[in-house]
Amino acid sequence: MTTGAVLAAGACAIILSLIGAFRGPRCWLLALLASSLTALAAAGWVLATGNAWEWRSAFLIGGESVHLRLDGVSALFLALLAVVGGAGAAYSREYWAERAHPVSAQASRGWWSGLVLCFGLVLLCSNGLHFLIAWELFTVCAYFLIILDGQRRDVRAAGWLYLAASHAGTLALFAFFSLLAARTGSWDLGPMREHAELAPFFWLALFGFGVKAGIFPLHIWLPSAHANAPSHVSAILSGVAIKMGIYGIVRFSGWLPTPPSAGWVVVALGVVSAVLGVAFALGQHDLKRLLAYHSVENIGIILIGVGFAIVATAHGQAAWGALALAGGLLHVWNHGLFKALLFLGAGSVLHATGTREMSRLGGLWRAMPWTASLFALGAVAISGLPPLNGFVSEWLVYLGMFDALNQPGAAVVGAIPAIVLLAMTGALALACFVKVCGVVFLGAPRSPAAERAHECGPWMRGPMLMLAAGCVAIGLAPFVFWPALHTAVGAWRGTWTDVPAPESLTMLGLVHMALAVAAVIGAAWLWRRAHRGSLARALTWDCGYAAPSARMQYTAGSFAGIITEWFAWILQPERHEHRPEATFPRRADFEEHTPETVLERVIEPCARLVMWVSGVARRLQHGRTHAYILYLIFGLVAVAAMTMAWSE
Amino acid sequence: MTSILEFIARLAVWLLLAPLLPGIINKVKAWVAGRRGPPVLQLYYDLARLWRKGVVLSTLASPGFIAGPAVAWVAVLAAAMLLPLGPLGASLSFRGDVILLIYLLALARFCTAWAALETGSAFEGMGAAREVSYAVLAEAAVITAVLTLSMQSGSLVLSAMLAPSAGTGAVLLAVGLFIVLLAENCRVPFDDPNTHLELTMIHEVMVLDHSGPPFAAVLHGAAMKLLLFSILLVQAVLPVGKLPAAAAAGALVAGVLGVTVGIGFVESLLARAAFRRVPLLLTTAFLLCLFALLVAWKGGAA
Repeated sequence: MTTGAVLAAGACAIILSLIGAFRGPRCWLLALLASSLTALAAAGWVLATGNAWEWRSAFLIGGESVHLRLDGVSALFLALLAVVGGAGAAYSREYWAERAHPVSAQASRGWWSGLVLCFGLVLLCSNGLHFLIAWELFTVCAYFLIILDGQRRDVRAAGWLYLAASHAGTLALFAFFSLLAARTGSWDLGPMREHAELAPFFWLALFGFGVKAGIFPLHIWLPSAHANAPSHVSAILSGVAIKMGIYGIVRFSGWLPTPPSAGWVVVALGVVSAVLGVAFALGQHDLKRLLAYHSVENIGIILIGVGFAIVATAHGQAAWGALALAGGLLHVWNHGLFKALLFLGAGSVLHATGTREMSRLGGLWRAMPWTASLFALGAVAISGLPPLNGFVSEWLVYLGMFDALNQPGAAVVGAIPAIVLLAMTGALALACFVKVCGVVFLGAPRSPAAERAHECGPWMRGPMLMLAAGCVAIGLAPFVFWPALHTAVGAWRGTWTDVPAPESLTMLGLVHMALAVAAVIGAAWLWRRAHRGSLARALTWDCGYAAPSARMQYTAGSFAGIITEWFAWILQPERHEHRPEATFPRRADFEEHTPETVLERVIEPCARLVMWVSGVARRLQHGRTHAYILYLIFGLVAVAAMTMAWSE
Repeated sequence: MTSILEFIARLAVWLLLAPLLPGIINKVKAWVAGRRGPPVLQLYYDLARLWRKGVVLSTLASPGFIAGPAVAWVAVLAAAMLLPLGPLGASLSFRGDVILLIYLLALARFCTAWAALETGSAFEGMGAAREVSYAVLAEAAVITAVLTLSMQSGSLVLSAMLAPSAGTGAVLLAVGLFIVLLAENCRVPFDDPNTHLELTMIHEVMVLDHSGPPFAAVLHGAAMKLLLFSILLVQAVLPVGKLPAAAAAGALVAGVLGVTVGIGFVESLLARAAFRRVPLLLTTAFLLCLFALLVAWKGGAA
């Protein structure tokens, strides 16, 4: 009952913040943070105790009584929403301040509160109709947040693409929930695994939620929306909005029966998303677009975990299924934390330099030491390196897959490529983040804008620090968070509640702590040693080149060149080059651009075909009445002919 | 108390013995070429000299330029402590430690490449790009080798995985891992540790601007990584864990020496491969490990 009271308080606070959005930033932020804290408390309580909360209203909305439920699965996502929602709101106080954005600052606050409220409703609603309403409302709120800076053409285009793609997904969800309601006779949702005839509906859910989650190749809306939205919005889009798609997949693969091949399909989609997401990321020159493609990659890693859990269900093997699922779900948290951190860091860079183009940045560490170090921490975490949180979740997924490997059964065939490709994804992500950190923060500034950069203020730094602290906490003490994962796994599959914590998780945490301490001591020691003797500053030696310039540095494109060449078959990079020719060469230039292949090479040609067919069909309608009468006559003759043919 | 003493002894073995390997390799190379060559202990002298020297930092370098080599060194050492040493076993072993070992080496790679990019030098950027790109293929080969060992032993603990021999596929695995060893430790035919001024290098070019104690940390870390890969290779192939303690220790030492001498011969007899060949060579290593995996999988059932 306490959970209900806390949630009610949170709901009051978020509604207050909705009103406060139009009064001023201070009371809005206060109410929003209060709602975040209450939501976190409620979710934490459910995760810690494992007591799900359920409530049914006596009144009806849309002919259905409101049915709310907070169990392990939804509490896990609610906790993430609370953290990222609160951090993004605090960040926007300075990043999207009244003074710089007099018109859209208020809109930003209002839609933000609305978005957080609708996310919460999606997670709590246990009624198909209300779920759909909340789902649609959050899509719309997110649209208005994406186009906050609507004067720019590419922002409007990105918003439109997002809206169109989202509605393609929502259409599938309409079909999914209606068919479900038609078969079960009620809009009410809950565990119904005994109805085997519901299994094929899983494909509809996978498509509908997959569009939102950004699974490759349904991710077409994701890069441009994430890149063009204001950075605090990108953070919540990447941290929470795409996780709603994952929530849907996890929720309904837990509640509904799944077709026999569902697990493998999800694993395959996960592997493809992971590898190609990072490959596309390597080809990007735009900092935020690059981060957006990494969301596709991380969604892939989450899906590998979830997919193996579905496979394990089919094989009736709880032990490794639970490990893989726990890894996937922990990665939901982890990705939410470090990707929000990275987007906020990218926002600070954008705020300080006015550009997202990596080839115009460089050497920012000097002006922005806080942003640089926090971004670096996020980069280590997202590359899945110990001792931070990204490694812990990938490690759990690996454990699950290796255990699947050593069990007799068909799982071996799938586990081998998944493990190899996950390892390659890790190495590719590392390559990509070395590139980002190196090109943006290290070396010499490549443009005057980068030279004039300045550090962000405390309101932007604070949320980043908090998210970074989350990454460190999960990395160093993963065993503390196991009970939460255990509750969530138990809520997903009731029979998996007796799976014990992997003993080595504690060991891993201790090793991580020792590693962190040793790294700090080692760095400090070497620092002292280097500063004890003579320490001289000189021009970069670079094999004795006397006059290096910032333009001679390795660029993002050249750094990733080797790998993007391997993936040229899918990246389809567009190159324009003028080589220096003749004895006195004129201008020489080289330009490379990686398009969104699926959108530009598949979806857009199809769309053009549809437009062409429509254009041809439109010629029939020209406004000349006598021709319309002719159509009518033809129509009547055709109907008459058909009727006669039918009767014979 | 004994465990602490044992831990210190193990640490000493890693720290003190690692710089021996590059010395042996150089001796072998000199012997093949008919030269006298530098003393076996040359790297020790170099390290001592560098540790006492002052530092020249690039004007562009941030504190990460010094922290990078330090963290990379710590990461390699931590990976080394996870690796069992024949009859001694590992100082720390738990389920999934093998994955941690691979990712610790990746952490070292991240830090080295980070430090390389600090200087804004085109050379070092190029080296870092090559290092992280080719590591993708090396990683695939290593994880496939781990899969083979895990399938062979039915375990995910390093000490149990490395105890038996790699079975029928041992030769395939040995060659595959040896190629990865050469690539990861910047040896010929991937890289030429003798040159410093060529555009054709991977790893060596990343550390061009390091000097003094940080450079000592880089060199020592590289030596430890070489020892780590040699021990891993020997234990993966030979049934070290099944032998009596003395024989196991002898086999391990002889194996590591054999690998080291082998590297020396490879460097003497082969030229550095063209860069276009590097991915091909690493893919070969991956395929060899994959075949070893298939042997372990299907052969195990028979």
